Amino acid sequence: MNVLVPLPFVLGLGGAAVALLCHGRRKLQRAIALAVTSATVASSVALLVASDRQGHLVTQVGGWPAPFGITLVVDRFSAIMLVVSTAMILVVLVYAIGQLSVERERLYFHPVYLVLTAGVCLSFLTGDLFNLFVAFEVMLMASYVLLTLGGSSGQIRSGMTYLVINLLASTFFVVAVGLTYAATGTVNMAQLALRLGEVDPALRAALGLMFLVVFGVKAAIFPLFFWLPDAYPTAPAPVTALFAGLLTKVGVYAIIRSQTLLFGDLGRPSVLLLAIAGATMLVGVLGAIAQNDIKRILSFHIVSQIGYMILGLALFSLAGLAGAILYIVHHIVVKTTLFLVAGVVERMAGTASLTRLGGFSRMVPVLGILFLLPAFSLAGIPPFSGFVAKLALVQAGLESGRLLVIGVSLLVSLLTLFSMTKIWGGVFWGAPEPAALSEGPAGGRLRPPSLMTGATGAMAALSLVIAVFAEPLYGLSERAAADLLDRDSYTAAVLGEGGGDLLGEGGGEVVEPASPAAAVRGGDS
Amino acid sequence: MFLALLGVHAALAGAAPLLARRLGRGVFLACGLAPLATVVAATARAPAILAGRPVVESLAWAPSVGVAIDLRVDGFALLMIALVSGIGTLIFGYAARYFGPRSDLGPFAGILLAFSGAMLGLVLADNLLLLYVCWELTSITSYMLIGFENEKGSARAAALQALLITSAGGLAMLGGFVLLGQAAGTYQISALLADPPSGALATAGVFLALLGAFTKSAQAPFHSWLPSAMIAPTPVSAYLHSATMVKAGVYLVARLAPAFALVAGWRPLLVGVGVATMLLGGYRALRQHDLKLVLAYGTISQLGFLITLLGAGTAEATLAGCLLLLAHGAFKATLFMVVGVVDHQAHTRDLRQLSGLGRRLPALAAVAAVAAASMAGLPPLLGFVGKEAAYESLLHGGLGVVGPIALVGIVAGSVLTFAYSARFLWGAFATKGAPADRGLVGCEVPRPAATFVMPAGLLAVVTVVFGLWPAGLDALVNAAAMALDPRVEVERLALWHGFSPALGLSALTVALGVAAFALRGRLERMQERLGGLPGSAEAYAGSLTGLNRIADRSTAIFQTGSLPTYLGVIAVLLVGLPATALIGRAPLASPTVLAESPVQLAVAAAIVGSAVALMFVRHRFSGVLVLGSIGYGVALLFVIQGAPDLALTQLLVETLSVVVFVLVLRHLPDRFSTPRLPGSQLARAAVAGFVGVSVASFALVAGGAVHGPSVAEQLLARSYTDGGGRNVVNVVLVDIRGIDTFGEITVLLTAALGISMLVLATRPPPSAAEEPRAEVGAGAPGHGVDR
Repeated sequence: MNVLVPLPFVLGLGGAAVALLCHGRRKLQRAIALAVTSATVASSVALLVASDRQGHLVTQVGGWPAPFGITLVVDRFSAIMLVVSTAMILVVLVYAIGQLSVERERLYFHPVYLVLTAGVCLSFLTGDLFNLFVAFEVMLMASYVLLTLGGSSGQIRSGMTYLVINLLASTFFVVAVGLTYAATGTVNMAQLALRLGEVDPALRAALGLMFLVVFGVKAAIFPLFFWLPDAYPTAPAPVTALFAGLLTKVGVYAIIRSQTLLFGDLGRPSVLLLAIAGATMLVGVLGAIAQNDIKRILSFHIVSQIGYMILGLALFSLAGLAGAILYIVHHIVVKTTLFLVAGVVERMAGTASLTRLGGFSRMVPVLGILFLLPAFSLAGIPPFSGFVAKLALVQAGLESGRLLVIGVSLLVSLLTLFSMTKIWGGVFWGAPEPAALSEGPAGGRLRPPSLMTGATGAMAALSLVIAVFAEPLYGLSERAAADLLDRDSYTAAVLGEGGGDLLGEGGGEVVEPASPAAAVRGGDS
Repeated sequence: MFLALLGVHAALAGAAPLLARRLGRGVFLACGLAPLATVVAATARAPAILAGRPVVESLAWAPSVGVAIDLRVDGFALLMIALVSGIGTLIFGYAARYFGPRSDLGPFAGILLAFSGAMLGLVLADNLLLLYVCWELTSITSYMLIGFENEKGSARAAALQALLITSAGGLAMLGGFVLLGQAAGTYQISALLADPPSGALATAGVFLALLGAFTKSAQAPFHSWLPSAMIAPTPVSAYLHSATMVKAGVYLVARLAPAFALVAGWRPLLVGVGVATMLLGGYRALRQHDLKLVLAYGTISQLGFLITLLGAGTAEATLAGCLLLLAHGAFKATLFMVVGVVDHQAHTRDLRQLSGLGRRLPALAAVAAVAAASMAGLPPLLGFVGKEAAYESLLHGGLGVVGPIALVGIVAGSVLTFAYSARFLWGAFATKGAPADRGLVGCEVPRPAATFVMPAGLLAVVTVVFGLWPAGLDALVNAAAMALDPRVEVERLALWHGFSPALGLSALTVALGVAAFALRGRLERMQERLGGLPGSAEAYAGSLTGLNRIADRSTAIFQTGSLPTYLGVIAVLLVGLPATALIGRAPLASPTVLAESPVQLAVAAAIVGSAVALMFVRHRFSGVLVLGSIGYGVALLFVIQGAPDLALTQLLVETLSVVVFVLVLRHLPDRFSTPRLPGSQLARAAVAGFVGVSVASFALVAGGAVHGPSVAEQLLARSYTDGGGRNVVNVVLVDIRGIDTFGEITVLLTAALGISMLVLATRPPPSAAEEPRAEVGAGAPGHGVDR
C-alpha cells in the first residue's frame, strides 16, 4: 500500500472543501489554493521519482483487494502526466490571481478550481474503468462551472454546447462501461486486460472503438472536435489556458491508456488511428488558418496537435509511444503559454481580433519573446521543445514505414508555422493598434501586468527546460512507453502474480450472472 | 573552442538589446566581436586543418533521437568560416554606419548576430539533425530581419514568403535527413558520406534534402522569395541574401555531391536546375530598375552557377566551385554594401534616377567597378580566376551527357552576367543627362564617411589581391575541395593559364557580354513586351490563396456550429463505428433469458412506447411528463429486479427532475419550435432509432459473451463478512466503491456552486465601485475579457 498514491486527488478535494468553508475571504482562499496546488505538485513529483525507481505503485482504496474495490495505479506515464498537469495548474493559478476580477474570484473560483485539479489527478491515478468515469465527471462538472465563470451571454451559449456534447459523451461512457462489464464481469482495468483477451475479438474491437469515440470526444479528435473551438475562446483567459493545455490531454491519456492496456494490438500499427491522426492534424490546422482571432487560431491548433499524439499511439511501437508522451508534455506547456500570452494581449488591448491589434513587439518586447518561443516550438521549429518531440515522432513513423502520415505531419508543421506567423504578423508586427495603447507612458513601451507576465514567463521557461533536457526526458518517456507496452507488469502489479484467479477463489456459491446486484452495479450513484 | 564561440554568439546576441541602451548603434561593433573572434580562432587553427586534420568538438544534447552538437571543422568549413564570419565582421562594421540612431537597433543587432551564429553552426555541424536545427534558425532569423520595417505590409509579406518557401524545403529536408540517417544507421555527416547508404529510401532521402537546398539557395522555381526579401535593410541583404544564408543550399549540395553524384537522376537534376536558374536570373536582372533587384537576380543567377559546379561532383568542378564560392561572396557583398551607401546618400536606388554619381563619389565608384568587374569575370580579379577554373573543369568533361549542356549553359549565363554587371555599374554611376532633366539625382548627394565605405573597400582589395596572386588561396581552396572529395588533386591556382580553350571561352563571353550590354535598351523593352511569364511569385501567391480557400471550405464543412448536427455525428459514430466491427462477425447473443417475468416485458414495452410518443409531442409540458414516465418505468424495472433502494433513488430523481422542469417551463414558450425542414425531424428520429437499436443489440451480444465469474458474485459473498452489511448495494456505495460515491457527491456540490454562481453573476453587482480598474485603460478587466 502506498500512501502517496491517492495524495494528489485527496489534496485537491480536501483543499476545495476548506476553500469553500473560507468563502468570502479572498486572500485566505488564495493562500489555500496556492498551498494545495503546490503540495499537489510536490506529491506528483514524489510519485514520479518513486514510480521511476520502483515501477508501478498500487493502492487498493479502502483495503478492498483488486478487483473488487477500486485500485489506484501510478506508473511512469501517469506520473509524468500528473507532474506536468499539476505544475501547469499551479502556474495558471498564479496567473488567474493576477488576472481575474474581484467579482469573479469571489464567485467560488478557488474551490471549483481545486475540484477540477482533483478530477484531473484522479483520472490519471485510477485503475478502474468506472472510477475513471467518476473522475471525468468531477473534472467536467468543474469545467462547466469555470467555463461560464462570470456568466456573460456568449459564455453561457458556448458553455451550453460544451455541456450538452460532453453529457452525451458521458452517457455513452457509462453505456460502454456497462457493456464492458456485461461482457467481462469486471471494471478493474488490470482484470479487464486479462479478461478482454478471452472474449470474442470482434466484441473486443467493438468495445475498443466505442471507448475510442467516447474518449475521442473529450480529446477532440477528428471528426469529433467541433465543440472545442466554439467553447474555449469565450472563457476567461486563465480558464481557457487551463482547458487548452490540459482537458483534451486527459482525453488523450484515456485513449492511450485504454488502447494500450485494454484494446490495441501492441506492436502493430492501427490504420484507423493513423487515418484519424492524419485527418485531425490536417483539418485542425486548416481550421486555424481560416480564423482571425488569436484564441480561435490557438484553439484549432489544439485539435491539430492532438493528431500528433494519436499518431504516436497509432504506431503502437516503443518509439511511437515515447514520442507521443514527449509530445504531450511539450504540448501542455507550450499551449498553455500561448494562451497565457493571448490573455495578456487581450487584457492590455481589450480585444483578441487580429485585425484590431498590431505593433506589440515594439510596445511590449517581452511579450513578443514570450509568444515567439512557444509559437515556433508549436510548429516544431528547432531548437525548441516541439522540435525534439516532433523529431521523435517523425523517426518513429519512418521507422515503421508510414511515409504518408509522416508527410502529412511535416506539411502540417509548415501550415502551423504559417498560422503562427499570422498571429505574429497581426499582433506583434505592424502599426501599433489599438491606437490608444501606443499613447501609453514611457515612449510607446508599455508595462504588461506583472503577475500575469511572470506566470507566462515561468511557463515559457519550462518549455526551454524541456528542450534543453530533451535527453533525460526522452529517456523517461521511453521507459514510460515500455511500461505501456508491457501489460503483464501492470496486471501483475495490481492483481499480484497470477492474480487473475482471484475471482474464482474464496468463492461463495456461484450466482447466475444476471442476478439483481450484478445488474445494478454499473449504473448507481 | 568552436563550441565556445557558438556560445559567445548566443550570449552576445541575447545581451544586444541591453548593450544597445548604452552603446546606441555602437552595439553593432560590439556584436561584430563575435565573428571577429571566430576568424581569429579559425586562423589560429588553420595550419592543422589545412594539413588535413580537422578540429572535432562534441556536446551531447539528445543522442537518443540522434541530435548531437558535433562540430567538425575541415577545410571546406574553414572556407565557409571565411565567408560567414569574415564577411560577417565587415557587415557589422558597415551596419554601425548604415543605421541612424533609432531605438530598436538592439534587437536587430541581436538577431543579426544570432543569424551569424546559426550560420556558423550550420557550416560546422557534423550531424544532419544539428545542421537542420541551424538551417531553420537561419530561416527564422531571416524572417525577423526581413520584417524589420514591419509597419510596411510589403515587408511582412516578404518575410512570410521567405519563411514559408525555405521552411517548406526545410521540412522536406528533415524528412530526407531522417530517411538518410535511418538508412545509414547514423546521423553523423562525415561517417554517412564516407559510407553512403543506398536503396530506395536513401535515394528518396537525398532528393528530399535537395528540395531543402533548392529552396534555400533560391533555385528555380523556388527563387521568388529572394527578390522580395530585398525589402530588408541593406546590411541584411548583403549578409544573408547574397554572401551567406543563400549559400546554405550550395553548401549542402557540395557536401552531398561527391557521395551521391552517381545516384540516378542527381546530375541531370542538379545541372538542369542550376543552369536554368543561372539563365533565368541573368535574364531577369537585365530588366530591373532597382539596383538592389539587379543584384538580387544576379545572386540567383550566380547561385545557379554554384549549384551546377558543386553539384557536378567531379573533382575539378568541385575545386572550381570552392574558388567561385569565395569570389562570389567577396564581390557580391561589396556590391550590396555599395548599393546601401548609394541608397543612404541619394535616397533612391532607381537606376533611371541616378546620374553623375561616379563623378561625385569616385572612391565608391572605384570599389564598385572592381567588384562588378570581378562578377563579370574580367582579369585580373578573383572572379576571373574562378570562372576560368569553372570553364576549364567543364571542358575536361567527366559529367557524361549533361556535360555539354552545363558548359553551354554556363557560358550563356556568364554572358548575361557580364551584361548585368555592366548595366549595374552604368546604372549606378554613369552620367545620363543634365541633372535638371527628369528629376535625376546624383550630383549634389553628400559624400559618405570614409568608415562607411571602408568595409566594401576592404573586400574590393581582397578581390584584387587574390586575383593577382591566386596562389595565396592555394592552400585554403585545395584543402576545402579535398575535404569535400578526397579524389581532388592539388592544383596550383593561377591567373594566367596560357592560351587555353577556357581563355577562348572567356574572350567569347566578354565579347558577347559587351554586345548584350550595348543592346540593353532593346533587351529591356523586349522583356517588357513579352511580359512576365507566370512564374514563381505567381505560383506562391496562388498557392497561398488556394490554401486559404481550402481552409475556409474545410472549416465550413466540419465546423457547422449546429448543435443537433454535432450530436448526430457523435451519436452515429458512437454506435456506427463499433457496429462495423461487430456486424457479421460477432456471435449473436446466446439465447439467455430475455425477460424473467411477463411484467418486465410489459414495462419495457411501455418504456419504448413512451420514447416513441415523445417524438410526436408538441407541448413542452406533455414532453416533460412523457419523459418522466420513461424514468418511472425504469424504476419499476428495478423494483421487479429486486432492488428497492435503487428504485427509490430513481423515483426521487425523476420526480425532482419533473418538478424542476415544470418550474423552468414557466419561462419558456408553450410549444416546441417546429423544425423548419420536415426532413430534419425524420433524420433525427432515424438517428435516435439507430442508436437505440444498436445499443440494445450490442448489449445482447456483450451479455452473451461472459467468460469467467463476475466480481458481483464475490461482492455478494463478501458484503457481510468484509463490509459488515447485508445490503450489498449499500456496502458497495459507501465502502467498496466509496470513492465513486464521494466523487459523485462532489459533482453534485460543484453543480450547485455553478448554478448559484450563474444566478449571482446575472444579477446586477451590489456596487460597481468595487470593480478595480485595469492597469491599462482598456475598461474594466471583466468586460475586457468577456467580449
